[in-house]
Amino acid sequence: MEIQLLQQPDSAIAKVILEPNEEIVAEAGSMIAMSPHITTSTTLRQGKGGGLLGGLKRLLGGESLFLSVFRSPRKSGEIYLAPDLMGDLVVYEMQGKELIVQSTAYVASASTVDVDLGFLGFKKAILSGESLFWLTISGQGPVLLSSFGAIYSVPVNGEYIVDTGHIVAFERSLDFDIGKPPGSNWLTTFLGGEGFVCRFKGRGTVYCQTHNPGAFGRLVGSQLPPK
Amino acid sequence: MRYEIKYKPAFSTIFVTLGAGESITAEAGAMVSMDGALTMKTSWFGGFFSAILKSWFGGESLFANTFINQTNQPRTLVLTQALVGDIEALALEGRTFGFEPGTYIAHVGNVKLGVRWAGFKSWFSGEGLFKLQATGDGIVFFGGYGGISKRRVSGEFVVDTGHLLAYESTLKINLGLAGGLLGSVTSGEGFVMKLVGRGDVYMQSRSIDGLVKFLRPKL
Repeated sequence: MEIQLLQQPDSAIAKVILEPNEEIVAEAGSMIAMSPHITTSTTLRQGKGGGLLGGLKRLLGGESLFLSVFRSPRKSGEIYLAPDLMGDLVVYEMQGKELIVQSTAYVASASTVDVDLGFLGFKKAILSGESLFWLTISGQGPVLLSSFGAIYSVPVNGEYIVDTGHIVAFERSLDFDIGKPPGSNWLTTFLGGEGFVCRFKGRGTVYCQTHNPGAFGRLVGSQLPPK
Repeated sequence: MRYEIKYKPAFSTIFVTLGAGESITAEAGAMVSMDGALTMKTSWFGGFFSAILKSWFGGESLFANTFINQTNQPRTLVLTQALVGDIEALALEGRTFGFEPGTYIAHVGNVKLGVRWAGFKSWFSGEGLFKLQATGDGIVFFGGYGGISKRRVSGEFVVDTGHLLAYESTLKINLGLAGGLLGSVTSGEGFVMKLVGRGDVYMQSRSIDGLVKFLRPKL
């Protein structure tokens, strides 16, 4: 499987070349175009993170209940995938370690990759606000992630702080804790509208998005009439 | 301090490197990510009274955060705006600029921020009763929705109310109609700003009002 990213960073699209009998699992609705011989099936996914319970958990996490499976039988084929919002894409190659992904950032992954809904614990879930759910990704093969805005990666060695609304993914080798920004008190945190931050410690890579979909949504949404 | 504005124009983001002892001040919520060794201090945006005025009437946040590098190594910080669009680094060089509500992101160096009575004309055009004003010789970072264009005004220049971002205080602003009363209504141009004098003006290529008008009937 080969993934090429085109039109970065503002309107990124992924061109995926599947070898014979290779499969890619993608978020429902993310397929833009594909070779005619590629077969499509819908799955609730078996195994880890699969089944009806896995599907319901994904629904809770802001993901669709079903995942699409694209398979290229006999000969190779190509398929184009893209997210809904304007923004960037990144390919992360899984090599046995775990990756934590903010649930709305997930677009697709090789069928050899396990996607499970992780629960970070009560405090971390409440404080992360923007996205209550995080996916724990493991196994082998590529994972395709999307962002609102451009994506930049930070190789953390020591301590690094990211606003929770700007996290795309991070390697599980990092220790992390969610709380108020350093130097602020609870009064200024609430009145000032400053979000919560995630403090990473140790060694590993964090992927950040330059823009916060929640902040942009509130800016435009507050001027729209209620439904 | 070193900075680079990356991903221009759609996703402009400020990547800042602070040297030992250096600092930068940004509006609350502008911080995307930062080195864990930087110290952050939250304060009222330009003093208590000024912060209240700016927040209630000027559309700015109530608090500002100052990021200080108290270590002896360079440290990095990433700042952005809620809008998708361009960011401009404006070197004041002793000049005074007025900023439309919500455009200010951060400043560095010797910059004095205050509020100025913008008048009922400004409020009437949906731009707020008070305006943020910056003076000094530092840099102010501000942003808009879409791209940012700069124009040197000498004499008179007309800018649509929703597209004005910042202007030099040597320019006097009058609110006017784009044409006659009937023409303004029928052409959809509505109110415009008439800038008179000599100075720089910055405009954004799109407006949030325009996006809201487009989305509203589709909901």
